[in-house]
Amino acid sequence: MQRRTLLTGLLAAGLGYGLAADAYAQARVTLNVMTAGDQNMVDYITDFLGPQFEKQNPNVKVRAVGTGPGEAGSQKIWERLDAQKKANVASWDVDVGVVHQTMAGQMVRDGVLDKYRANIQTGGLVTRDTATNALGANVDGYVMPMFHSQTAIAFNPAMVPNPPKTFDELAAWAKANPKKFGHNGIKGGMSGQAFVVGWIYANTPNASQLMQGPYDASVQNGWSPALAKLKEFNQSAVITPGNAGTLDMLNRGEIAMGPVWVDMFYTWQAEGRMSPNIRLEIMSPGMPGQPMYYIIPEKAANRDAARQFVAFATSPAIQAEGIVKRFNWYPGIDAQHVQAHLDAKVWDKLFKDVTPQDLSSKGKPLPMAQYFKEILEAYERQVAN
Amino acid sequence: MTEATAWRWLPRAIVLGLFAFVIFGPLANLVLWSLAEAWYFPNKLPSQWGFRFWEVVFRPTGRAMESLTVSIWIALLTVVLCLAISIPAGLALARGKLPWRALVMLAFLLPQAFPSLPVYINIARIFYEFGLNGTVLGVVLVHTLHGLVFGVWITTAAFASVDRELEQAARNLGASALRTFFTVTLPLAAPGIVASAIFVFLESLDEFTGSYFVGAPEIQTLPLNMFLASMGGNYQISSITALILLVPSIGFMLIVERFLKADVLAKVGT
Amino acid sequence: MSQSRALSLALIAPALVVVLALFVYPLSYSLVSAFTDRAGEFTLDNFAKGYELYSRDVVFTVVIIAVSTLLIVAVAIAIGGYLTLGENRWAVMALAWLYRWPLFVPFIVAAQCMRTFLAKNGLMNNIFVSLGLLDVASTQSFLDWRGIIVTFVWKQAPFVTLMVAGAMASLDRSTIDAARNLGASRQRILFEIVVPQVRPTLVVGLILSFVTMMSVLSVPLMISGGTPTMITVDMAYRINAHGDYGVANALGLLCYILTGAAAWAYLRQSVRERSGA
Repeated sequence: MQRRTLLTGLLAAGLGYGLAADAYAQARVTLNVMTAGDQNMVDYITDFLGPQFEKQNPNVKVRAVGTGPGEAGSQKIWERLDAQKKANVASWDVDVGVVHQTMAGQMVRDGVLDKYRANIQTGGLVTRDTATNALGANVDGYVMPMFHSQTAIAFNPAMVPNPPKTFDELAAWAKANPKKFGHNGIKGGMSGQAFVVGWIYANTPNASQLMQGPYDASVQNGWSPALAKLKEFNQSAVITPGNAGTLDMLNRGEIAMGPVWVDMFYTWQAEGRMSPNIRLEIMSPGMPGQPMYYIIPEKAANRDAARQFVAFATSPAIQAEGIVKRFNWYPGIDAQHVQAHLDAKVWDKLFKDVTPQDLSSKGKPLPMAQYFKEILEAYERQVAN
Repeated sequence: MTEATAWRWLPRAIVLGLFAFVIFGPLANLVLWSLAEAWYFPNKLPSQWGFRFWEVVFRPTGRAMESLTVSIWIALLTVVLCLAISIPAGLALARGKLPWRALVMLAFLLPQAFPSLPVYINIARIFYEFGLNGTVLGVVLVHTLHGLVFGVWITTAAFASVDRELEQAARNLGASALRTFFTVTLPLAAPGIVASAIFVFLESLDEFTGSYFVGAPEIQTLPLNMFLASMGGNYQISSITALILLVPSIGFMLIVERFLKADVLAKVGT
Repeated sequence: MSQSRALSLALIAPALVVVLALFVYPLSYSLVSAFTDRAGEFTLDNFAKGYELYSRDVVFTVVIIAVSTLLIVAVAIAIGGYLTLGENRWAVMALAWLYRWPLFVPFIVAAQCMRTFLAKNGLMNNIFVSLGLLDVASTQSFLDWRGIIVTFVWKQAPFVTLMVAGAMASLDRSTIDAARNLGASRQRILFEIVVPQVRPTLVVGLILSFVTMMSVLSVPLMISGGTPTMITVDMAYRINAHGDYGVANALGLLCYILTGAAAWAYLRQSVRERSGA
């Protein structure tokens, strides 16, 4: 730390440039919040959460950094923590991280996280399975869900007045309407991966084992028929470039349907990149979703402020005002705590297309990490090749 | 205009027009998206225009100007550092007697060849040990590494193309080696050096992966914001950011080229 | 100005230190990871798996970049040649002003522009349809391998052109004028006098472009979702979806070898020329 301060000082003097740090000289603590996900995640912290928190804690300045959309963004947070761990840095430069569920298990396994949930007063407000279990990994105590996201099929009612309700109906529809359904495969982001997972859930007998375990290496041998069917399906589908690529093609009316993340979809509508007429539905038997987690690194420089921040961010009032009302995301903590802070109109808007019943019956978790990787690799070998 | 000149102009105008379409067609998207508040099928153009997203970019908490200043500052420092070490290197590679010259040239090329993410992670780990993370110097060093490809390769080519007879003539007239270098060699190689300076500047202004691993959270550059917005399909924000970044890029090129022309002409006169 | 060996080494030392400390040293970690499994034992499995799953993508990458490079040569010579030999001052000025713009657009933005320009209902097709050059039913999307090539050429051709045009401008005009006075056509002057003299610059520009295109992730990722895809996409996917740095680094090493081979051919030749001179 000493050396770093010295270097910073030297630089500021030597180059005649006041480093960004100077701007915060008056605030005693700068809380670094790194978030994976799209620009709107950064905006949420910079424009809403940060200022609200600073109002209550005048000695803290919140600084948000985006690390990139999708799993890649979470991966970059882990890589950053891992680099500091391997370099034996005493206090790490990430105070709070926002990561995808897929990355949380790995972080816990590597021992880079603080077990903080029992130490914050909102820790008891979440009882969903996702607060303790991330793709089969036990993350109990290390995470608080920021919000839940869900994949769904976005469709243009002008082109598809009666959208297919199941994966089988979709396959028949795509055959009749070639190149009107688009998904982004497995290399361009999670919405395509979620679609592939949904397909496996729908077309293999033991879907629940994939989600709940136990792990059995021979399960993947049973996927071939489902994957062969998917390969045939892909012939009449369009493979889009990335999560945003699917939304982009929906935007231009090139495809009529495609799997999207509900939160991204609403952002695109709010920012004028998606016709307000496009609708959402979850196909039977279900499609996967996942929460974004707040995590606190084990050696966060400002651990106490970080815990305060997460407690604040997961308090019912903030979840109601920020997550639900402003961003139209599904709350991270249990819904009943949040609903009390909102009027019925706002609450109903959240469930305009996808009802709470849909969510509870058709919103599935992603498969256990090991199965998930095997599904992706089986797709690579049997579908994409 | 007579009919004959019209006929001579027509093909030229058509070709130039097509070329302009190819260049500006994709760029038109940037301008359109930066002003589009709503643009979706079946509208072929935005259905709602406005500056809403410009306000978003320039809102006080967005700190766009601050990031821009830092980005330009880093790019300028990168150019200075990069040229300071690649001009001597280029000279040595073009003129000197170096063992394994080809291998050395290759070494400078490779940082650009390897998809850089795994390397940046390792650099970050090393920089943490030296407290270089989150400093301007750290980011400048990483950008310099990538700039060296252009710096070294292009200055080498530039020095190699300088006619040695001119240098010999200066030496015969009694000029010292150092004086010959500054009055003959360097001015003649100047176009190449300037080109490399432009590329180094642009490379630094485009870079985001290294800036994240080495610079964040203390240093936040504008390209990092642009990367976030563009990968997420946030076309308005990324278009506006790209348009903002055009200003220093083009400005740098114009200044450098103006400086070059005056300079070279002056040298030619004396 | 020939120099002694010691002076040469002193001149190159700072640059070499930067590359060794900031690149070769960190890279060695990556190379080690390419040859070890998760338990830390030596293995070639990463290469075997890379070959098994991604050999098609390697071929695809090489073809895409080779085709792009060839097109970039053609464009750079054509524009540079016209800028040097063009007789109409206004046309030359217009061209000089036009061609540089893509230089200032980062790859990721170029990819974004092309994604919304070349799509089936993108700006380009919309313009053609509005002008009556195409009808709606016959539009097609270029967002596949063609889109990747178009984006690469659009973005990199100005880079090579800037270098080549600079070299052409500093050529001795007397040979060109002499040839012109003898009645040689502009094409002949271009290919027999101008291009041979700027060839070293042209090749350096091409190698730098080749290498740059090799490492770009955003263009293939944002333009084309289909298979096969480019190596950078596979690397990112191995890391992000599988946390598999071993295969990613093995693929990266492969990129190196490909690039190294391309550059080596040129370097050997330039060494021969130097020793001949």
